[in-house]
Amino acid sequence: MAFDVDKYTATSVSVNWDDLDLEKFRTEPLNETSLRTLRYMTDVEYHTVCYTRDLLTTPSHKEADMSAFMTMWNREEFWHGEALATVLGIHGVTVDFDELKANRLKLGWKDRLDPIKQSVLGKIVGNDFVAVHMAWGAANEWSAIQAYNRMAELEQDPVLAELLKRIAKQEARHVAFYTSQARDRLAKSKKAQVIARLALGKFWAPVGSSIMERSEVVHVMNHLMSGPEGRKAARKIDAAISGLPGLEGLKIVEDSLDKLGIAA
Amino acid sequence: MTSSGDIRSGVRFNVREFTRTARGNHRDELHLDEFASAPLSDESLHAVRYLGRLESATMEHLRNLLVTATHKDARVTAFLVTWAFEKFWIADALDAVLEANGQPRAQAIEEGRTRTAHADARDRRGPIRRAVSAIRQGVPIIAVHMTTGLIDEWITRTAYERLSAVSKSPALAATIQLILDVKERHARFFDDEARRRLSESPRAVKLTRTELLHAVWPIGAVDRADSDRSFFERFVFGGSEGADRAALIGTRVAALPGMDARIGSTVAQRLLP
Repeated sequence: MAFDVDKYTATSVSVNWDDLDLEKFRTEPLNETSLRTLRYMTDVEYHTVCYTRDLLTTPSHKEADMSAFMTMWNREEFWHGEALATVLGIHGVTVDFDELKANRLKLGWKDRLDPIKQSVLGKIVGNDFVAVHMAWGAANEWSAIQAYNRMAELEQDPVLAELLKRIAKQEARHVAFYTSQARDRLAKSKKAQVIARLALGKFWAPVGSSIMERSEVVHVMNHLMSGPEGRKAARKIDAAISGLPGLEGLKIVEDSLDKLGIAA
Repeated sequence: MTSSGDIRSGVRFNVREFTRTARGNHRDELHLDEFASAPLSDESLHAVRYLGRLESATMEHLRNLLVTATHKDARVTAFLVTWAFEKFWIADALDAVLEANGQPRAQAIEEGRTRTAHADARDRRGPIRRAVSAIRQGVPIIAVHMTTGLIDEWITRTAYERLSAVSKSPALAATIQLILDVKERHARFFDDEARRRLSESPRAVKLTRTELLHAVWPIGAVDRADSDRSFFERFVFGGSEGADRAALIGTRVAALPGMDARIGSTVAQRLLP
């Protein structure tokens, strides 16, 4: 079913946590492992706008629906960052804009070259590359949902679980947009399918890999995606991705867990 | 012209407060039924359509900003995320005005051909060339983006005020007032950031001066139709009163830290038909 962008923009809201008793974490704090994972998630959410940059350097920004979606999507993700930063704040972990800036400044050359690489690729394959971005975006949003669900399961904390559920619910709408776009565009072009398969298979890594230290990526993947239950979640993401036209059989999440040495 | 750019409270613009109080959908406040008995003239509708196109081009503009060091400043990007959201709904309000006057939405009709003037070449740079030169420019480029953002706010405010006066429509005037209220905070942020960064860095001043000698206005105009741009230049800055409006903007540009009369008059000159 086609994604209704007008309806999405009209109903897009910042995630609300006013009614949740986050203050209780002062007496019942989350453990260090979880806080470290939450910190990672916060950085990734705040960083979304930079990921938009990579989308925008390709022709995708010229389409009105795409622009409308990205405007709201960016803002929702920013608010996920704000929500998670509030939880961290109650634990005495400050994530303010200046701290985030310090993290981004560490990115260095790789980051500087990324938009150039992206736009060169974007120019070469034109609109087919939008299809790749949409498939990539879908993979990331599916991962986010699984990550939040796993976190909620592991923590068994009703307040945190409710907050994560609300965030995951918004991510589900993002998935709907990305998959409907990816499905249509991939179905129309064999070339797009080939490039998407190649790009995801060769270059995809867990969300946040490009902006966080490897040690943090390993920590989060060990925390959320290790063991039989973690693998089950990973397989769910892979199954969703391989349901897109031309991407049958891809196991990018499981492969990346193996590469990081995360125990099954 | 109100001088939102001159509000200098000494307190740094509160980005978090801005993000928390962002203003979205305006459709319930627009007095749209008044247009049924008092429709806008073709000229006013043309101005509404062009302003709508400019307001909705945020993603095209973000692309040019984010391929540079500007993306590394989390405070600036937090502002831009909310700025894009508010501009989306400004464009939506303008679309609502068009529809109430029996017109299609601004982006629903084909735009004409863009201008191919040599003077625009610099602004037509794509993201690749911008990203390449940004590697050399580093963090001072943020000052350029903040200053051009501020001047753009001055120009569009002038255009909205002109449209409000020309249209003689109380309904449109009310919508424009609402839009200007939303945009006032955007100007305040850019004003704050531009003055601070220009005062602190000679390199930021140098880059900004170079940019202003070549910039095309309003921001994003190079991607718009030649015919729309010519209309806008005549409508807002045509005739002797229009030239006065352009000169006033030039004077304000000249008064920014590190700028001078030459830069100010170049900007003013480039606004004229």
